[in-house]
Amino acid sequence: HVPPRTERMDVDQDWSSVYPTAASFKPASVPLPIRMGYPVKGGVPPTKEGNLELIKIPNFLHLTPPAIKKHCAALKDFCTEWPSALDSDEKCEQHFPIEIETVDYVSAGTSIRNPKARVVTLSVKLSNLNLDDHAKKKLIKLVGERYCKDTDMLTITTDRCPLRRQNYDYGIHLLTVLYHESWKTEMWESEKTEEDMEEYIWENSCSQKNALDTLLRIKASENVSNVTEEELLASEVVKNYRNSVIALKNEGETENNMAQYKESVKKLLNIQALP
Amino acid sequence: DLMGARLAGSHVDTQEPKTNPLISISDEPETLYKRLSLLVKGHDKAVLDSYEYFAVLAAKELGISVEKVHKPPKKIERLTLLKSVHIYKKHRVQYEMRTHYLCLELKYLTSSTAAVYLEYVQRNLPEGVAMEVKKTKIEKIPEHIREPVWDTLPQVEETEVK
Repeated sequence: HVPPRTERMDVDQDWSSVYPTAASFKPASVPLPIRMGYPVKGGVPPTKEGNLELIKIPNFLHLTPPAIKKHCAALKDFCTEWPSALDSDEKCEQHFPIEIETVDYVSAGTSIRNPKARVVTLSVKLSNLNLDDHAKKKLIKLVGERYCKDTDMLTITTDRCPLRRQNYDYGIHLLTVLYHESWKTEMWESEKTEEDMEEYIWENSCSQKNALDTLLRIKASENVSNVTEEELLASEVVKNYRNSVIALKNEGETENNMAQYKESVKKLLNIQALP
Repeated sequence: DLMGARLAGSHVDTQEPKTNPLISISDEPETLYKRLSLLVKGHDKAVLDSYEYFAVLAAKELGISVEKVHKPPKKIERLTLLKSVHIYKKHRVQYEMRTHYLCLELKYLTSSTAAVYLEYVQRNLPEGVAMEVKKTKIEKIPEHIREPVWDTLPQVEETEVK
């Protein structure tokens, strides 16, 4: 019978011409002494001739390193360079603040379509948008859960349209509408109460009234000439007290904040440390 | 030279080594991809290992920076079915399906580089292996979000301009 082709192959032949494309394993064309399969009792795995295990498994004989290098050399002409000015994440963030995430799915099956492919996620840092104080607070209230305070990122995930392009357009539309609505001031926004405020403001609060009240009464009992409220507000002790109260309310109770509050109250009421 | 037989007509003529007649350059600016995350799923770990070698080498040859290559832990889905067609509830048979994962993260690609790399890598996906590609595109803020539109409409008096 005809001897297999492997006996006529040189050691330095061009392998990419033997396996140019993905093909199943041909034992007469591959000059390697491969054995694969479960060994016979007290024996070795079966040889490559007529071995179904070697034919079943996908092989990478068409993708040897020299073949990959040849392919990439031919494909290199079609690639473009990344702009060298954007070599770090911060620069990308600065020039291109909006990030759009899309997912593609490749699999074998009865259909190549995947319904999860139409989801589009838009994320942007609010510090890059042109917003003033009121607009930023209104935007955060409008958006609710989609804003993350730690990283200052607004993430909008759109899924409601059947095509990816439509979802992307809808996401941009949502961002535009949110931006413009947050710059508007409605008439009912002037009824914002203390419970709606995101952060604690000391001016016109109970804490300020109580402190001023107490100080005025102290001055009256010591019979000092009537000191006006503005002078009290501008004095050092009151400013210290104000800073410590704001820190306590906004940042929560930490060791430093409590110590600062204690010091400022002691100075305000002129109490010396207990012996 | 059979190298170009499979790749969609991308062979270079020996007479003109410099200008490739198949390349066309368009004027529109390229979209930029900050990160390209490839998650490859398969039933066989050895196949995924070979595929990882191929994909990493292809990325290096094409000049794409590979940020991270890591292997999330495998997931095994097990089912317990009845061994017999009719009765014998006490005798069951158990099957399991193992899915191995491989995650490649590439950084800083332009749209044409991404298209070339993804087409090359996806055409050589072995049988029985699936892939999910997550692209993170970066863009400038669109024109209509630069300034609030209320500044340019002085006639509208019901809503206050801020």
